[in-house]
Amino acid sequence: MEDKKLYTNQAMDGLKKEQDLLPVDDDLDSVLDGEINQDKHQDESYFGLVMRRFLRSRVSIIGAVMVIILINLAIFADFFSPTSLYQIDLNSSFIPPQRIHFFNDANGNFHLGPFVYNYVYELDPATFQVYWREDTSKAYDIRFFVQGSEYKILGLIPSNLHLFGVEEGGTIYLLGTDKLGRDLWGKACEAGRISLTMSLFGTIISVLVGSVLGVASGYYGGWVDNVLQRFTEFVAAFPNLPLWMALAALVPKTADSFTVFVIMAFIFALLTWTTLAREVRGKVLSLRETDFIMAAKEMGASDARIIFRHLYPNVLSHVIVILTLTIPGVILAESFLSFLGIGITEPLISWGLMMRNTQDIQTLGQNAWILAPIAFIVTAVLGFNFLGDGLRDAADPYAGK
Amino acid sequence: MVSYILRRVFIAFFLLIGIGVVSFVVIKLPPGDFATRYQQFLLDRGTPMEEAQRAAELVRQQYGLDKPEIEQFFGWIKGMVTEGKFGYSFAYRKDVGELIADRLPKTLLIAILAHAISTIVGVGLGIFVAPRKYGFWDNLWAIWAFIFTSVPRFSIAIILLYILVIELRQPSISSFFSPQYVFAPWSWEKVVDMFAHIWPVLLIAGLGGVARNMRVMRGNLLDVLGAQYVQTARSKGLRESTVIVKHAVPNALHTIVAYQGTVLPYMMQGELEVAIVLGLPTMGPLFYESLINQDIYISGSLLLMYGALILAGNLLADIFLSILDPRIRYS
Repeated sequence: MEDKKLYTNQAMDGLKKEQDLLPVDDDLDSVLDGEINQDKHQDESYFGLVMRRFLRSRVSIIGAVMVIILINLAIFADFFSPTSLYQIDLNSSFIPPQRIHFFNDANGNFHLGPFVYNYVYELDPATFQVYWREDTSKAYDIRFFVQGSEYKILGLIPSNLHLFGVEEGGTIYLLGTDKLGRDLWGKACEAGRISLTMSLFGTIISVLVGSVLGVASGYYGGWVDNVLQRFTEFVAAFPNLPLWMALAALVPKTADSFTVFVIMAFIFALLTWTTLAREVRGKVLSLRETDFIMAAKEMGASDARIIFRHLYPNVLSHVIVILTLTIPGVILAESFLSFLGIGITEPLISWGLMMRNTQDIQTLGQNAWILAPIAFIVTAVLGFNFLGDGLRDAADPYAGK
Repeated sequence: MVSYILRRVFIAFFLLIGIGVVSFVVIKLPPGDFATRYQQFLLDRGTPMEEAQRAAELVRQQYGLDKPEIEQFFGWIKGMVTEGKFGYSFAYRKDVGELIADRLPKTLLIAILAHAISTIVGVGLGIFVAPRKYGFWDNLWAIWAFIFTSVPRFSIAIILLYILVIELRQPSISSFFSPQYVFAPWSWEKVVDMFAHIWPVLLIAGLGGVARNMRVMRGNLLDVLGAQYVQTARSKGLRESTVIVKHAVPNALHTIVAYQGTVLPYMMQGELEVAIVLGLPTMGPLFYESLINQDIYISGSLLLMYGALILAGNLLADIFLSILDPRIRYS
């Protein structure tokens, strides 16, 4: 009993001494947790280190939030859209974005929540132009979590819940409507499905190709490396956009939209893998000579085991960074091609395709709100760029030590 | 030096042939050959069937479409190099070579102007922000750089078009000159008039380039400013501006020159995007039209031209870099 107490005291003394030696920023908790004499994060997992560094940078968090919001809007587009996504109503074509009002309407009635006015169609007697006018005689309250048109969550679970909607008889178009009277807000959310999956799918293909060629080039070296390097240089020398346009225009007009989607993704992958292949090769080259790879070789591990178990996991973080940074380029290219009418075709819809009507300056002049999808494209591109930048800094957590 | 340049030219030559092959494949990929297309074109115009068939046969012989593909490819290349014949365009009813001769100088003019402006402004801004790392101006320009590279250029072009046409009622922006200057000889007024027409393209294609050049220049300059010889220069008591301009900047410029190989395609693509939206008579809209109309010889030839231009730009950047930095020649 006595001995034990003594022992504890000694241990406590030791602890106190260690505590004095520790850097100031280390708190008592970590000391008591038994992390004495150790760097605070030394035994943390790689993933933990990356997360810590990532969360420290504000810009990357903003990027992640932007991306997550867009993905959610895309997946649950039916829920976020007040009307059915497939509703076409030629009587409500080119309604401008409806203004949301608060508190008192024109008739002096008090509204607890936000409300919108009725919109009516009118002919300007002087110019003979038709336009939509706010009709302040009728006001409709905006309600949240309303029952509306039926849809299926993820194509499986039937539901009719919508985030917001208006009272019976009213309409709410946050971003206005297009030529066919479709709600631009709902459509833009839905278009994210194609724009995002297309760029992700295309980038993943390019990552697969780039990884295989990069690892082969770096790991085997010699003539394999030489041939693959020349090939990579050759593909990288191509002017991306003109070739994408030429190939996209070759896709037969009669092909069904899913085929077009797949072909387009492959077209984008065709030219984007070169950056990744180079980066992976460089990484593998430097890793190949390290002790742990040598040790694995000496122990008789097969090439496949070394590549998949030892090499590739160490390259993976860089692959993810480049994947994130490749996506914005594909989103931009895809929207441009669809905007020109040589990319995605109806009934699929993407942000670029939604802007197809803006090519007609007359239409654009009268209905400037059809430019709204630009905001979605910019959010996506900025989001992925921020995210990729943050990940790049975080991917190498041992660099600063 | 000469051997280095020769080596680069040699590699570029092979890349050019490769691009030629791909362009040729693009011409060949659509179903049916040029002659059947020509026949269809004549039929659509009300030519009798027999007449159209005879004409198609004539075209087939003239362009050697009955020969094997490889021979056709070399025939196409030979026609371009020796006679300047790129193939026939239905829509314009002339040889593609003439169309390219008309539009290539304009495209080059815009590309070179946009490139020069973006390099000068971008490098200047980079030198301006680097010593102010994380300061107000640095952050401000960093935000602008992010925005310029994130907003799709075609949409900036649309917005500008909207402002110019709808809000400001500017006439004829989809041309190089106002009507009275089109056939006028070159004069100062004509140059001014031209800039009044092409500034949107220069602006939009150039902005992204400015942003990229600025970021690269800033990064390099920061690296160089951390070097020991810069510290030596400072400790000699030189003024900070002298240290930056005389000692740091020349060594940070190398990477900028090398980087032009990346910026050039970016600018060309920007020009392509913007010119299509604004309808300027450069190669861009011609290329787009040809893709829509399946005017295959234009598509293929222009694809080749774009590839060749970018290749030539890269080659020039390489050679210039090797003059600036002798280490590259001997590596």
